[in-house]
Amino acid sequence: MNKYDVVVIGGGHAGVEAAAVASRFGVKTALITHDSSKIGEMSCNPAIGGIGKSHLAKEVDAMGGLMAKAADKAGIHYRVLNSTKGQAVRATRVQTDRELYKSAVQELVNNENNLTVIEGSVIDFKIKNSQIKAVLIESGEEFSSETVVLTTGTFLGGVMHTGLEQSPGGRVGDPSSEKLAKKLRSLNLSVGRLKTGTPPRLNKHTIDWSILTPQPGDVPTPLLSYTSKKEERPKQLDCFMTRTNKETHQIIMDHLHESPMYSGVIEGVGPRYCPSIEDKVMRFSERDSHQIFAEPEGLESDLIYPNGISTSLPLKAQAALIRSIKGFENAEIVRPGYAIEYDYFDPTGLKHSLETKAIEGLFFAGQINGTTGYEEAAAQGLMAGINAALKTKKQNAFVLKRDEAYTGVLIDDLVSLGTKEPYRMFTSRAEYRLILREDNADMRLTEKGRNLGIVPDELWEKYLQKKRQSSLEFTRLKKVKLQPNTIEAEYIEHQSGEKISNNISLFEMLKRPKVFHSHLPQGSDELPTNVIDEIEASVKYEGYIKRQKADIDKLQRNENTPIPETIDYKNVVGLSNEVKQRLSEARPESLARASRLPGITPAAISLLMVHIKKGRRLVG
Amino acid sequence: MIEKKTIIAPATASGRGGISVIRMSGPRSEVIAQEMCGQLADPWRFKRCEIRSGENLVIDSCMVVFFKSPHSYTGDDVIEFHCHGNPTIVNLVIETAIKLGAVVAEPGEFTKTAFLNDKIDLAQAESVADLINAQSESAVIAANSSLTGKFSDAINNILDELTAIRVFVEANIDFPEEDVDKSLLNTCVDRLKSLSDQTTQLISSTVGGVKLRDGYSVAIVGPPNAGKSTLLNLLARENVAITSDIPGTTRDLVKVPVNLDGVLIEFIDTAGMRDNPENEIEKEGINRSREVIEKSNLSLVVQDANRIVEFDFGMEDFISVYNKCDLYGGQKKNGEGVFYITATTGQGVPELLKGLVNKLDIDEGQETAFLSRQRHVSCLTEGGLRIDESLTSLEEGQGLELVAENLKNSHRVLGEILRPLSSDDLLGEIFSEFCIGK
Repeated sequence: MNKYDVVVIGGGHAGVEAAAVASRFGVKTALITHDSSKIGEMSCNPAIGGIGKSHLAKEVDAMGGLMAKAADKAGIHYRVLNSTKGQAVRATRVQTDRELYKSAVQELVNNENNLTVIEGSVIDFKIKNSQIKAVLIESGEEFSSETVVLTTGTFLGGVMHTGLEQSPGGRVGDPSSEKLAKKLRSLNLSVGRLKTGTPPRLNKHTIDWSILTPQPGDVPTPLLSYTSKKEERPKQLDCFMTRTNKETHQIIMDHLHESPMYSGVIEGVGPRYCPSIEDKVMRFSERDSHQIFAEPEGLESDLIYPNGISTSLPLKAQAALIRSIKGFENAEIVRPGYAIEYDYFDPTGLKHSLETKAIEGLFFAGQINGTTGYEEAAAQGLMAGINAALKTKKQNAFVLKRDEAYTGVLIDDLVSLGTKEPYRMFTSRAEYRLILREDNADMRLTEKGRNLGIVPDELWEKYLQKKRQSSLEFTRLKKVKLQPNTIEAEYIEHQSGEKISNNISLFEMLKRPKVFHSHLPQGSDELPTNVIDEIEASVKYEGYIKRQKADIDKLQRNENTPIPETIDYKNVVGLSNEVKQRLSEARPESLARASRLPGITPAAISLLMVHIKKGRRLVG
Repeated sequence: MIEKKTIIAPATASGRGGISVIRMSGPRSEVIAQEMCGQLADPWRFKRCEIRSGENLVIDSCMVVFFKSPHSYTGDDVIEFHCHGNPTIVNLVIETAIKLGAVVAEPGEFTKTAFLNDKIDLAQAESVADLINAQSESAVIAANSSLTGKFSDAINNILDELTAIRVFVEANIDFPEEDVDKSLLNTCVDRLKSLSDQTTQLISSTVGGVKLRDGYSVAIVGPPNAGKSTLLNLLARENVAITSDIPGTTRDLVKVPVNLDGVLIEFIDTAGMRDNPENEIEKEGINRSREVIEKSNLSLVVQDANRIVEFDFGMEDFISVYNKCDLYGGQKKNGEGVFYITATTGQGVPELLKGLVNKLDIDEGQETAFLSRQRHVSCLTEGGLRIDESLTSLEEGQGLELVAENLKNSHRVLGEILRPLSSDDLLGEIFSEFCIGK
């Protein structure tokens, strides 16, 4: 009998997380993908992490997700970005071997119990009374399920553009989902088009490496996952840097009329933060050079990913522009760059659980919600998977708040504000940035995950150990006092330039900006880096975090003021029609959420507040 | 759909006078007015109309003007009846409108509506109440300066610059791979410094503004029977305090507001204080006087020039006033904080007042100041503090995220001056200070 509790459609970064986590609830889960050998494929750049994104990847990891573990098994080049800035905005970026990554993901998926992988192209849904009932694949097989997670990436109505040529497809070598796109367009959902792009891939052996600037990975090499081991990591490779120049830019300008974006063929909106080289040259015309990272696609791979020159110009122009770049003079394009356009659905049509408001039991995760990036997809996949499983068990949705996780920020932004361009995570999107750090994602989330039953024992043990070590170290730092003119004090003074004139605890000392844990006299146990990072950040940010917590408490009052589901905004006296319409469409669950909607003024919130209070008085 | 209510209230003070203005605001005001006075003139034009009651009796013949939304005080449709200044007429007009569906406005409801309709920001709304309550010329000028948005403009300028700097700092955090011009970080220091100066300046004119709004208070203290109440009476030009020759006549505090060169100063007469009070009542009086001294901006220590005693009750800022100089034969040379007067004749008092204004450091050219509230000062002070902290973090090379955090907090707290975040309590508090009809 083809009956499943949860069906996940799509085997990308959102799909695998959704399927794996749902299966951990002990519910019968199916992952349907058109080609099971493509599960965990990295369609664009071979890297995980980066600013804001590593935070998401670590959060997924802290709740038992797959992404960070697979990245460590495939990681061939690690760097911590923003290392000169504080803990909160430091971000790990891992370049991975594409093949190793894919096989690591597939192995992790295969290890899950209750999870069946099914090959097939989904072409239709059965929906009854706005409740999803079943999923149909091309072969005619039907899978009945009342909770379905849809993670279609760029496959929904996907069209690829190279120059003015276009062809349907979800990725080079893979067909797009036309029938499903048509089906979804017929439902009561608001659909839009977005575009993203990828650079041409170059033949490693045709690049003159001797004249490029090498960029080695960080030493000591970090890990992305809380549970990965150093031994699991493959050999490390260098990256190389080069730059575009005036000639490159001239070539682009000369061929701009052949660009699908600038000739008006593409209607979708591209990401502002990961723009194509055409966009960069047009938008920053005052610059005569842009940075390029030549990233290896893998240990055995002959492909080089030139990060920074995503383009959809015709192949001839691509070749010319590549060859104008230092070190690429004789470079051979193995696969041209292209732009891809695809369907997405306005995420304001979602609940915070990622379930669509229009169709019960249907969940969306990843690029279908207007995001870009593997990590953004994984975080949504995890949450959609959790909530789909919870729904089958008739339990309340699991929602992370903005002060708990970047994942919470991501989903709240999407659901409250929607997006007009591909949404990618940044640290500046998080108002509680100092609390939401790489070093404490486990402290924030692992216990929640364990309570849900999705955190494996290994991660749980690691977490408990870190918690123990960290609390012992805090006690020690508070207890041990430094005396002026001792060897220890002089060492700190020498290292940090901070003077010690009175007896002072190590804890107080660590608060000073230039003093780091490594300067202090150490305890008997050697502490792992992630414990030290967490301690340093908590101590240094203490004052700021206190203030942020106070803000959170203040907001909590509004967060906890629910807006009755039955509210008719037409009856709220004093609201402008525009505001009424916006609120009616978004139907925010609480006052705090309403206040984050675009165009909702504090004045509107106070009117709403008065209305809700009045309503309560009438009832009570 | 529930309609917004239409509110009505007298806009001028009650009593008999030339004219009384009644204001009505809300979606039904035009209809109600037509019902009462027939066809109205085009919007924003006066028309002489006969106002009729429900029984079709003419109540008054008056000028009526219709302000069409959104170009009205509240942003909704507004009608003003300028009728004859008789409370009975006013009541009849309002009663008639109520029968036709209007409701009586709560204090401040017109201005609150204007705020809720985004016609004015919060600082402007506050200045409306301040303008009405202003008791001195400087306060009127300053309240108007706030009402026309000069204060809001100053805040908005700071907010705009903060936004620009924040954008730059955030870009540096979120795009470390892009080649952001590092020299721009140095210009950030200069920009933050100038922003800090700007804030400090605004704080000082705002602090002055709070004093303008609340006025200054000056305590008149001294040993018994030094002539404190006589001085107060002279200042008030009417007998407010009871004076007699019996020491300790003043038991309760007597307060007299005096408009001095356009600035409101409240003089507070206190019980005479001596080191060994005779009874409980006197003791209590002395305790109260101490409190007054503490809360006042300045104390006038009045002594009988002929019987100077030691007097120290913890005054920090004070002027020594030697009274009864007509009977005094010694040297009478006014000096720094020392004045010789005769309160019964007024001799020497003008010099004393001049000295007092100097000592209070009242800026004569208050036109640039804003009438402000303690709330504004706290927000500005906090906002300035965060700007300074961000500067420190930047200069000391602490993480850029701390610079960003301070800037964000500054931005938020300064923004609250114009647009409160948690609106409920604050709005209630602010609009409760209004009188009905505004």
